[in-house]
Amino acid sequence: ERLPKPDKGKMRFHKIANVNKALDFICSKGVKLVSIGAEEIVDGNVKMTLGMIWTIILRFAIQDISVEETSAKEGLLLWCQRKTAPYRNVNVQNFHISWKDGLALCALIHRHRPDLIDYSKLRKDDPIGNLNTAFEVAEKFLDIPKMLDAEDIVNTPKPDEKAIMTYVSCFYHAFAGAEQAETAANRICKVLAVNQENEKLMEEYEKLASELLEWIRRTIPWLENRVAEQTMRAMQQKLEDFRDYRRVHKPPRVQEKCQLEINFNTLQTKLRLSNRPAFMPSEGKMVSDIANAWKGLEQVEKGYEEWLLTEIRRLERLDHLAEKFKQKCGMHEAWTAGKEELLSQKDYESASLMEIRALMRKHEAFESDLAAHQDRVEQIAAIAQELNELDYHDAATVNARCQGICDQWDNLGTLTQKRRDALERVEKLWETIDQLYLEFAKRAAPFNNWMDGAMEDLQDMFIVHSIEEIQSLITAHDQFKATLPEADKERMATIGIHNEILKIAQTYGIKLSGINPYTNLSQQDINNKWDTVKHLVPLRDQMLQEEVARQQANERLRRQFAAQANIIGPWIQTKMEEISHVSVDIAGSLEEQMNSLKQYEQNIINYKSNIDKLEGDHQLSQESLIFDNKHTNYSMEHVRVGWEQLLTTIARTINEVENQILTRDAKGISQEQLNEFRASFNHFDRLIPGGYNLCLQKRNGMMDPDDFRACLISMGYDLGEVEFARIMTLVDPNNTGVVTFQAFIDFMTRETAETDTAEQVMASFKILASDKNYITMDELRRELPPEQAEYCISRMTRYVGSDAPTGALDYISFSSALYGESDL
Amino acid sequence: MSSSYSVSLAGPAPWGFRLQGGKDFCLPLTISRLTEGGKAVKAGMNTGDIILSINGISSEGMNHLEAQNKIKACTGNLSLTLKRKS
Repeated sequence: ERLPKPDKGKMRFHKIANVNKALDFICSKGVKLVSIGAEEIVDGNVKMTLGMIWTIILRFAIQDISVEETSAKEGLLLWCQRKTAPYRNVNVQNFHISWKDGLALCALIHRHRPDLIDYSKLRKDDPIGNLNTAFEVAEKFLDIPKMLDAEDIVNTPKPDEKAIMTYVSCFYHAFAGAEQAETAANRICKVLAVNQENEKLMEEYEKLASELLEWIRRTIPWLENRVAEQTMRAMQQKLEDFRDYRRVHKPPRVQEKCQLEINFNTLQTKLRLSNRPAFMPSEGKMVSDIANAWKGLEQVEKGYEEWLLTEIRRLERLDHLAEKFKQKCGMHEAWTAGKEELLSQKDYESASLMEIRALMRKHEAFESDLAAHQDRVEQIAAIAQELNELDYHDAATVNARCQGICDQWDNLGTLTQKRRDALERVEKLWETIDQLYLEFAKRAAPFNNWMDGAMEDLQDMFIVHSIEEIQSLITAHDQFKATLPEADKERMATIGIHNEILKIAQTYGIKLSGINPYTNLSQQDINNKWDTVKHLVPLRDQMLQEEVARQQANERLRRQFAAQANIIGPWIQTKMEEISHVSVDIAGSLEEQMNSLKQYEQNIINYKSNIDKLEGDHQLSQESLIFDNKHTNYSMEHVRVGWEQLLTTIARTINEVENQILTRDAKGISQEQLNEFRASFNHFDRLIPGGYNLCLQKRNGMMDPDDFRACLISMGYDLGEVEFARIMTLVDPNNTGVVTFQAFIDFMTRETAETDTAEQVMASFKILASDKNYITMDELRRELPPEQAEYCISRMTRYVGSDAPTGALDYISFSSALYGESDL
Repeated sequence: MSSSYSVSLAGPAPWGFRLQGGKDFCLPLTISRLTEGGKAVKAGMNTGDIILSINGISSEGMNHLEAQNKIKACTGNLSLTLKRKS
């Protein structure tokens, strides 16, 4: 740009015009000149002039400085800071103090033209030196005049900012020019850099794309691999690998792809922005290619995952089935273990019928069990089938085991049937045998009983007391002997049954236990017993015969005894009669009776030996256990009793006669009287009925009260009840219930001697009482013997009457009472 | 003065006393004798005591035989009420 030409005049107004031209130009550049007039300048106003100079400097040297969008002063400062930044000992903060040590300037120079200053040799403590160095170098090589003074700067606390700014701006312009070149170079470099960068990005893209595609290319086959593993574990491993792939390996690739896209987009954008043509990736590496490849990858992935899961499920099912198969096989095999052996047993060969039946039942139970297991076998086969269908890796083993089981199953079936048949057959045979056993038992038992009975009978202890009895036993025995042949036949038949059993067992090979369940009797028992029976028979015969002899001996004894007894008995009887006759008959005197009786007594004494002998025979009989004797009606006891009675009778009779003699003599009864009494007594001495009494006598010398009463009546006694009672007390004071002849005589003699009545007694008392109705004690004592007197006195009641003295006794009551007495 | 008392003799007979009297004799029924150590004497009966009742039945009007029979008929205990001799 050109300023208008200055005026050449030297006049003030020429100067002012020129200045104005300059000022105008400055103004036209946009600088505001405030209160700066041309006159002042012409006039040489220092302040104004300086101001104007500064304004010009500012405008043209500084104002246009633009450093990184910072302009003018700030820009300049920034520029200084940037450029001196590497120099540690320089710190530009302002345009005054910062420049005092001169280092900043040197740094600035050195920055652009290191060849001009050896910066390392500069020292902070030589500011002047530094400054001057800078000034000189600047002037010499950079065409920058020295505008400043070193001492001035150093000595001034705060150097003039504007001056420094001006000076430094010269540096800027000096270097900035260089810098422009630098900038241009930079720009070129930038552009180139951009290109380079783009290329790099493109290369990167290509590379990344290749890698990614390569990776995809590698990965896809892996994902397409459908080779199944054998085991779940392996498949699970595969799944785990896939998971790894998805979680670990693929994500970075995803990121890569994303990055690729981003890069591509960025690149494209950059290219577009930097006005370059769009990027065209090489063939096969286009975005679409990559996208397609990626899609393909993901598809394959999905397929793979599905396949993995399917496979795993399959394997899982297979594992489960295989396990189930094993388990079921195991259980089945456990159940079948040993069964074939059991079924092949021949245990029925030596079993009893009960055992065979039990075995049958057991077998039936087994058959149902077997049937129940049928469907288990079928299940096993079904599982094996499925395993095959599902392509189990170890199908061969499975099939082999399954086959094994099926074969065994068939075998079991066959064996079961065989065993059934065998058991049935043996059962039938055993039933037959059992029947025979039963029959044997049925016959053997009663036969055995019969034999037992026979044995008992043959050994029976018998007691017989007569020949007839033993005879009948002999007869019975003979009858028994007659039954023996029949019995033997029965025995043979029974044994025959047993033999039949043996035959059957032998024929069919059955082992008999030898035990008949129905009986404990064996054929040996039967035979043994039979032999015993046979043996006992003759023994019995012998016993019986012995007994016969014994009985005969007894009979003899009996007869002997009887003979004797039959003599003695009657003899005793006869004697009893004779003796009674003697006493009763009214023949001869008492003395003659006595003699006769004495003779009898002697007779009897003499006869004793016969009694003794009979006792001897009796003893023999008793020792031979003879308890009866039909040859005589007289037992030893009869004889004894009779004998004793005889002895007693003779003694008593003698005594009676003695008493009679005494009585007779005492009472002075004549023989005729006695005979009369005897006749009366005998008449009423009635027979005693019945009985086998040896001393049955027609007259026993006793009367019962009724006889006695009849007798009295016949003798003319007028008896009332009371009177008779009184008499009875007299004749039978001891209340024996009989009246003996002696008593009778006593009574009669008393009566005939005196007949007392109450009145007579009273009369007698009256006499003694001198005709009074009472009697005195004195009178009694006087008239009666003392004993009788006292008797009367004690017994007589007091006489009740007015005419009697005290002590008078009533003899009337007494007398009557005498006949009204009862002993109670 | 006379007093009455009762005895109960444990049977059976003999009772150990002699009975005397009765209506037919115009005499009261009297104990004329006691057997030594007999039941009557052990019961405290005395000779001369008069029987008033036999087993609860009054003896008034009984003749000798009646009284005797009544006593003889007793197989168990014999209860008598008596009056002591005055």
